[in-house]
Formats: sequence, C-alpha cells, structure tokens
Amino acid sequence: MNNKIKKIITNVRVIILLVFLVLAVVSISPRPFVDGVAIGNVLTNSSASIAGIQQPSPGTRPVSRERILEINNKPVENVEDYYNFADNLEINQSIQVKTNKRLYILTAKEEFDVIELNETEQKEIEEIVKVNKTINGTLTEVNETIKKIVRVQKTKRISKGVEDVGLRVFEASKTNIRKGLDLQGGTRVLLQPEQILNPSDLGTLMDNMQERLNVYGLTDLILRDASDLSGNQYILVEIAGANENEIRDLLAKEGKFEAKVGNITVFSGGRKDITFVCRSADCAGIDPHQGCSQSGGGFVCPFRFTIALTLEAAQRQADATRDLSVIQHPQGGAYLSEPLRLFLDDTEVDQLNIAESLRGEASTNIQISGSGVGASQQEAVFDALNNMKSLQTVLITGSLPVKLNLVKIDVVSPILGEEFLKNALFVGLLALVSIVVIIFIRYRKLEVAIPMLFISVSELIILLGVAALIGWNIDLAAIAGIIIAIGTGVDHQIVITDETLKGESRMIFNWRERIKSAFFIIMAAYFTLFVAMLPLVFAGAGLLKGFAITTIIGASIGVFISRPVYAKLLEILLRE
Amino acid sequence: MEEEVEKKDRLSGIKHFYEKQYKKLLIIPFALLFIAILLIGLKYATTGDFINRDVSLKGGVTVTVPVEINIDVLSLEGSLRADFPGNDINVRLLSKLGGQVGFIVEADVIQDEANLLIEKIQQRTNLKLSEKDYTIEIIGSSLGASFFREIIIALLIAFLFMGLVVFIYFRTFVPSVAVILAALSDIVVTLAIVNLLGFKLSSAGIAAFLMLIGYSVDTDILLSTRVLKRREGTIMERIFGAAKTGLTMSLTTIVAITVALFFAQSEVIRQIMSILLIGLFVDLINTWIQNVGLLRLYLERKEKKQNYNKSNEQ
Repeated sequence: MNNKIKKIITNVRVIILLVFLVLAVVSISPRPFVDGVAIGNVLTNSSASIAGIQQPSPGTRPVSRERILEINNKPVENVEDYYNFADNLEINQSIQVKTNKRLYILTAKEEFDVIELNETEQKEIEEIVKVNKTINGTLTEVNETIKKIVRVQKTKRISKGVEDVGLRVFEASKTNIRKGLDLQGGTRVLLQPEQILNPSDLGTLMDNMQERLNVYGLTDLILRDASDLSGNQYILVEIAGANENEIRDLLAKEGKFEAKVGNITVFSGGRKDITFVCRSADCAGIDPHQGCSQSGGGFVCPFRFTIALTLEAAQRQADATRDLSVIQHPQGGAYLSEPLRLFLDDTEVDQLNIAESLRGEASTNIQISGSGVGASQQEAVFDALNNMKSLQTVLITGSLPVKLNLVKIDVVSPILGEEFLKNALFVGLLALVSIVVIIFIRYRKLEVAIPMLFISVSELIILLGVAALIGWNIDLAAIAGIIIAIGTGVDHQIVITDETLKGESRMIFNWRERIKSAFFIIMAAYFTLFVAMLPLVFAGAGLLKGFAITTIIGASIGVFISRPVYAKLLEILLRE
Repeated sequence: MEEEVEKKDRLSGIKHFYEKQYKKLLIIPFALLFIAILLIGLKYATTGDFINRDVSLKGGVTVTVPVEINIDVLSLEGSLRADFPGNDINVRLLSKLGGQVGFIVEADVIQDEANLLIEKIQQRTNLKLSEKDYTIEIIGSSLGASFFREIIIALLIAFLFMGLVVFIYFRTFVPSVAVILAALSDIVVTLAIVNLLGFKLSSAGIAAFLMLIGYSVDTDILLSTRVLKRREGTIMERIFGAAKTGLTMSLTTIVAITVALFFAQSEVIRQIMSILLIGLFVDLINTWIQNVGLLRLYLERKEKKQNYNKSNEQ
C-alpha cells in the first residue's frame, strides 16, 4: 500500500495536476473571513479624492481592492454601515478613514447650489495676455498678467448641506472569481433618445451601443427597447461592473468625433474613414517620449495611439493641407500654419501640429494624442488611459445616430437572487456525490470511485482558477459550461475505467494499450465538442460566447491535465 | 425460480428483437424527429416563435415602485406567480448608495393587464400606491432581433465541423452523418417536448439545449469507435459492450440531474436540469436505436459489397 502511495505522489502527471491545483487556489485566493467594505469608485474632486484615496484601476483583482475597515475608529462591517455613516455627516467634519492600506483624513465639504440672479455686478478679474516686449534688444513674447473690470451676472450660493464624500463601496469580495450580471446584479440605466426613432433606426442605435460597450470592455450587459404607457421611447441597459461615470461617458454622449484642418473636416469616427485603431501596447498608451509632468496643483499625462485612415480620408487631409504655409517653431521643428484639431461632440479635445513633411501628402497613418489630469501621477495616468479608451471607442464605432438623455440610473439586485449561488453549489456537490455512489455500485471498487471524485473536484477548482486569472465573469451561461465540462469529464472517466477493466478480460496486459484505446475515444469526443463550440464563440451574442468558452476551457483542462491522471491512478491502484 | 427463467426469457427476447429488427426499430427515432419538426413548425406558424419565451426573452411590463421599505423579494415573487399562474414574473430590488430604494416587477402580461398587476402588488405588499408612486414601462426582448438567426447559423457551422472531425477520425461519412443526426435529433425532439410541457424558456434554457450537444457527442463517439475501430467479437457483442459503458454514463448523469432537480430551489437550475433530463432520455433513443441502426445498415451493405466482389473474383 505504502508503495502505491509513493508511486502516486512521485508520478509526473500527478505532480503537474497538483501544481495546477495550487496555482488555481492562489488565483482564486479565497478569503472567507475578509472584513470591511471594498472601494469601488472615487468621484473626481470629491473629499475622498482630495484626501488621496485612489480610484481602483479596472484591472485590480477583486480581493486586492482597497478595503475600508474603520471610520472614526468604528468598524465598518457592511455597505449599510458605511452609508449610514456617510448620510449623517456635518459640514467641515473631519473623518478618519482607515483602510487595509493606510489612514486617510477627509473633510466633509459643503455643497452649494448656484442660482443666477436677475442683475449684474462688476467684478475684477485677472487675465494672462501675451505681449511682445523688447528685452536686451531682442523681441520676445512674454506672458503678462493684467487686471480687468467686467460686468457679470450676479449669482447667489445656497447651501445644500453636506456634499457627498465621493466614495462608492460594495461588499468586499471573498474570492477573485468575478460574478456576472445575473449573479451579482448591476447598474440599470434608462435612456431616452432625443427624438423618436423608427424601429430600424432604433435597432441600429442599439447595435451601435452594444458595440461601443463591448469595445470598452463591458461585455456583460443586456440592452432592450422600452416604452411607457404614453408612448415615449426608451432604451433600458443593464451592465455589470461599470461605474456611473463610464456609463454617462459611453451611453449618454453621442460620441461624434471629427478631425478638422481649418474648417474642413478631414475625417470622422467610425469605419467609413478609419480602417484601424491601435489598442496594443506597442502603439497605444502613455507617451513614453514625454512622460507625465507636474502642472499647477496636479499632474498631466499625455497619451497617444496610432490609427489608419482610408485612402479617401487621407486624400482629404492632403487637399486640406496643400495650401498651408510652414512656420518654424521656436523649440525647433517646422509645422504647418493650421493644426489638426480633434473635436468630440463639438468640443475641441486636442490640437495636433502637422509636420511640414506631411503637407499635401496622402498619409494613411496618423498618431492621435491627448492627455489626462489628476491630483497624483497615478490618478493622471488612470485618467489619461480612460480618456484614451473612450476616444478609441468612438473612433472605432462612430457616433450614435442621436443623443440619448439619461433618465434614471439604479443598482439592481441579481435576477437569480442572493441565495442562488449557495444553493447551486450545494446542489452541485450533491450531484457529484450521487455520481460517485452510482460508480461505486457499478464497479464495487473504492479505487475507482474516490479517484473519480478527486479528479472531478480538481477539474472544477482549476476551471474556476482560470476564470479568476483571466477575469472571466461567471454567469449562468458559464455555470452551464462548467456543468457540461464536469459532466463529460465523468463520462470520459467511465470510458477510461471500462476500457482498462475490460482489458483484463481481453487478456491485454499492457496498460499502455488499454489507456491508449480509452484516450482514442476521449480525444475524438473532445475534438468534436471543441469544434462544435467554436462557431458559438464567434456568434456574437454574449450568452453563447460565455457558454462556449467555458466549455472549451473546461474540457481542455480535463483532457490534457486531469483525465490522464485518472488513468494513471487506476493503473497504480488496480494493477496487480 | 420459474419467474427468474421467465424474466431471463423476456430479456433475451428483447435482446433478440433489438438484434434482429433494428431496421423496424429505426422507425421510432425518425418518426419522433418527424413529429417534432412538425410540432415546432406548427408552433412557428401559429405563434411566430419556435419556443415559449420567459419575460426576459419576450419582454412585457416592468413596474418600478420606489418605496424605501424592506420587501421580501422571494415571497412577493412567489405570491405574484400564484396570482398570475400563466405568466412569468420576476421581482428584483433597486438600491442606491447601499440602501434599498425600491423594487421592480417584471411580468410578461399584456399592457391591458398592467392595472391588475399593480392591484395585486398593492395587495401583496400592503402598500397604497397612487399613479404617481410607480412607473410602468413596456420592455422589449433582451435578445437582439438577430439572436436566433445567429444561433441557427452557428449551430449549422458547428454541425458541419463536427461531421468533418468525425470523418477525419473514421474515414467514412456514415458515422459523421450519424453524429450530426443524433445531435440534431436530440435538440429538436427535446425542444418539441419542452414546448408541449409549456416551459417558458430563459436564456439559461437555451444554454441547456446547447449542453445536449456535449452529452450527445460522448455516447455517439464511444459507439462509433467500438463498432468501427475494434476487431474483437461480433458487431453485436461490440454494440452491447459499448451500451454497457454508454448506459453507465447516461445513468450517472440522469441520477445526478434527478438529485439536482430535487434539491434545487432556483427556478433556473430546475429548468436547465429538466431540459437535460428530457434530452438524455431522447439521446438514449437516438444513440442506441438511431445511431446503432445506421451503423449496422452501413456495415451490412459493406459486407454484401465485399461478398459480391469476392464472388466476382472467383
């Protein structure tokens, strides 16, 4: 017996499986006794952001998020505790927020409503103007501050009480497994198009919104058309894992992008003019040549990414720049007299100087740049990357056909209810136990039943580990994929058992032959399932994709990692 | 003692019938497939849809009630379902900044019944609601208009790929056709039965139909390999050997699903499990009658051809 155990734990395949199991557990990193509430979102310019609390970046793994443990020395155990506290603040009250990282001191700000009165007043303002001056005999441009008296509308500030400290919190995650919309709930947004659309335009609008959200990385969502009893048209969106700002940016904005030279639009967002938008690290990201710089009280970080234009758009640019003059820049370099100006929803977002060499040239490759700001460098980088992502999204998807007004925004509980996961896990374990009982009755051997239980549980853990590692949302479709992966896993282990036990009666004493004939069947079934799932991955609709990918990953783990171990365990345990 | 002998006789009788009359038995799966296609076609012609959709797939009425009292979602959902037995109803909570700010009721009732729904909500929650206290929206399907077209195209490509892989493995078209036909029959026949039972399908239900492909492939490949690739014993012995393994596979799954059905509280899990259970029984017919029949027809023809060639040579 000891000999057999030694053989098992020194087997290469078993060791590989154990390594994968350990890695999976590390990736899931279960923390059943985690305390505090996790910080989900920090509003810009709020007391929290001023105090230095960082907006978590979207890539942060669930258990690594900063958690609030105590406020003013009182423990915060759940979301309700936090908001109870946040709702009862006084103006200028100082708040000590202790997180698992450090202690922050916040000051509750007063919030004002500014009302414009029906009269004007005189006000002295400072203005910076550029003046040409002769210094030491040379003419140079100097900034000079002058004082000016202007008439402005008189306003009145009315206190609205304490301003929101700007933190959005949620229950701290106990594992790194991300839950999908139907298990976790999400944000529900009701949007109203500015004008009534006919059904086909509405369809186009919804497809466009779906694409825009997907490009932005929000794939777990439901879009549906809605109307009220008086016939107003709405669009209802439910999204998992998005915050209010992102939703406002992505959905309520039309996203009309135009690049102009002078008054001529040379290209706009969408596939008509743009053939490719770079989103990989080699040609998109924080500009490495410039880096972040300090300006005023904060930081500014520039970003850049390259795009490719269609020939027509490149030709328009060539025509627009042909007659421009060249200006020598004082810092060196020669640029055209008109810059390329980028407009988003009719607001200028950036100006790019056009190099002299591009005059009249139909160049299809263009570098787009912009910047982000923040109180700290990290915040500025985050803001810059966020701006870059939104700009890339509108460049890829083009503008929405109409502007949408945000009617209401709520957080909805999951459609499957809070108790669902516990029940699902319980049912899953019961099902697994019943399988093992049947297997024991059929083969009358614990040496068959126990390895099968071990292998099936291992497959589940490794699959969840992979999901946690790649940040895959576990939703109902993914659970269906997990069931099919484990279910066909049991099927395959039965095939291995029968092929090897049958080998005894067939007088095939070579275990290698027996296992080979079992794996012939298993690999055929695996490849058939694999190619059946492939078209579903690319079918577009989110439901199919989640199911198909989970099934493929689960089945691959089984076939290449765990089921060979089952065969080996049988060989060691049953071979005389 | 006599009983046992009788039992044995009857069993061997069935075995004998199964062995000799496989061509007649083939009528069963094809008749089932034919009736299923007819039923689904009829459903499509009368309702314009292949399936009964639940509220999330079909759309309906959403009532939003912004009240800051604690509502037991599960019990409200249960009692509203009792009030509208033919309809599908979901209740969910709305929250803002951690606090509960209301609840929404989604129901696949028609617009005219919205007032009745509100009346029942008032009764069940003991709330007095005037028209200003709630909003009603009529929502469309959560699946895009192109969803079913996409799923059918994806399935067609999937079947084609499956056939191709099986062909590469066995170097003959018969098992390819058999595997595709079995997967297709499993889905179509199960869909027809689910429609007859009046299930309202959620997106999870649709996933359950796709899960059938996985279980269907396992038994079919096992059968094809044992019958076409192995040389020991007669064809019938190989078929019975494959059936022993295949039935163990199906039995474990059926028992696991039955246990899950028994203990699952969630309507969604029950729906997935019910569809799988029906599908597995349908798969038994499609594997052990349809697929076996097709393989034997093929082998019989091949044998005749070989004998014919041999006699010609002589």
